[in-house]
Amino acid sequence: MASRAEARIQNEAKLALKRIELSNRQFAMLLALPVILFLVMVMAYPMGYAIWLSMQEVSFFGGFRTSFVGIENYREALYSDNFWWSVRVTVQFVSVSVVLAMLIGLGLALLMHRVRRGRALLGTIIILPWSMSLYGAGVMWQYLARGQSGVASSLINRMLGRTTPDTAVEYSLISSEQIVNLLALGNAWNLAPLVAFFLLANLKTIPERLYDLARVDRLNIWQRFLNVTLPPLQYTLFVFTTITLILSMKLLDFIFVMSAGGPGDASATLTFRLFDLAFRQSNYGLSAAISFYLLFLIIGSALALFFFWGRRLEDT
Amino acid sequence: MRRTSLSLGLAALVAVIWTLLPIYWILKTAFIAPVDAVAFPAPLWPSNPHFAAVHNIFGFGYTDADGREFLPAGQSKQVINGLKNSVIVAFFVTIITLLIIVPLSYAFARFEFRGKTALLMAILFSVAVPPVSTLIPFYILFVKLGLTGTALGLIIINLTITVPFVTWMLIGYFRNLPAVEPLARVDGFSRLSTLIFIVIPMARSGIAVAAIVSFLFAWNEFVFATQLVNGTPAATLPTAVSGFLFLQPQPGLLSASLWISIIPAALVAFFLQRHIAEMNLVEPVK
Repeated sequence: MASRAEARIQNEAKLALKRIELSNRQFAMLLALPVILFLVMVMAYPMGYAIWLSMQEVSFFGGFRTSFVGIENYREALYSDNFWWSVRVTVQFVSVSVVLAMLIGLGLALLMHRVRRGRALLGTIIILPWSMSLYGAGVMWQYLARGQSGVASSLINRMLGRTTPDTAVEYSLISSEQIVNLLALGNAWNLAPLVAFFLLANLKTIPERLYDLARVDRLNIWQRFLNVTLPPLQYTLFVFTTITLILSMKLLDFIFVMSAGGPGDASATLTFRLFDLAFRQSNYGLSAAISFYLLFLIIGSALALFFFWGRRLEDT
Repeated sequence: MRRTSLSLGLAALVAVIWTLLPIYWILKTAFIAPVDAVAFPAPLWPSNPHFAAVHNIFGFGYTDADGREFLPAGQSKQVINGLKNSVIVAFFVTIITLLIIVPLSYAFARFEFRGKTALLMAILFSVAVPPVSTLIPFYILFVKLGLTGTALGLIIINLTITVPFVTWMLIGYFRNLPAVEPLARVDGFSRLSTLIFIVIPMARSGIAVAAIVSFLFAWNEFVFATQLVNGTPAATLPTAVSGFLFLQPQPGLLSASLWISIIPAALVAFFLQRHIAEMNLVEPVK
């Protein structure tokens, strides 16, 4: 009697369970739903609006008014010298940034891999630039590089014994010729830790045995680096080259604070140009059009990296 | 052997100087007397530590050993208010980001479903979109909705940065976790309770890194804030600090306010350097 009732209860419980039991796919969709809604709201909407905006002429006289101009903004950008100058600055800034960030990142990773004592302390120091704000980094690098407060003036004058304001000479590291490289150096300072920690994780997976074999083969340090250390890192190097490329191309905070596109427009990257166009000159249409050129440049160069480098790695 | 450890030590020294010099160079200024702080050539270190700036920035007066009085900084109210706003914005951005991304990245790592690749592409694409291009439509929308100058607007726009990037981090992390689901199922856990009671506790260090990264993004964000909330009661710390930026007579105040904005980053640095590489950024791309 009791057992039959029990069986019935169990049966009902099973049925109830079945009713709320979802298939894997349904469960996954349920978990993913918030993000899909989110993506539609905060990505699709602004992108759609930006596309619309890029085909409008916006005027602010007597309220927000727009009139359709088709591809006029896209054409205007292509005919403007400012736009092409910004493309040049962006390409230079990004290439120098990526090369420096990868080299410094690799150097820091190799160092952390070798260091035994004080490794945690060293790591804590090394990650600092990445965890701090790009805005703060901009203030710091400007303070460091400027003639008046800068480290170059301070050190050189002291070494030459010129310690009074009237004898000392200002050595500014900021000049129209070098500002883009200096910005790239500061950007690499900020990005290198991220690269370093992921390369370090990868370095740890290289079996110690391979280094023993390298010793047997009497490889020198350079040969060992090229033949033992570097090959397993390739995919990570590719991914982080892409990441640093994208992050550098998107960067505005640091440039905005450190050089504000200057001196003149020597460091006016595309990001700075479109910020300036939109929020200082209220030329929203042109700015939105340029933002799509920038987006194409970002996606295009990431795809090119994949095509010429990443794709080949996958085959191996 | 001794030779290698010597060169290793030297390399470590170079790395530390390279990393710390830009930070040190401005932070030292907070402890230099206002007169010496603007001296030329700039002092190498605070030879007579002086604490006027760190008091003045919080709105306190300061009298030094020589009996000189230093009045509270006029911007101290903005700095304190900015600090409060930054905490609020960063806190909510972190919570909302986690609520959205933890279930999502788990679903990504463990289940197959239609549109998965498309969704992953959409997320990676969102990582590639420059914040300044999303700012333009958001700015116009916020002006229409009256959301400029509010913390809510800033929280929403910050999510456009944190969600894609942190999702990407966590997908790789969840994939590396051992597949405990079949075992949990044998023990009678439903999928949801497996996620809540088993997977999430197991993934706590990864989720902590995700939380820290979201917090730091929101805490450090400058461009959105400068356009949306600068000069309003909702101004965050970086925009409040930008009031000091080129205020040359008082670099000490700028330096002291940078100290405040750097502290959270310094506090989490140890944890971050230990766990950051557990976030597998490489694998989701494969």
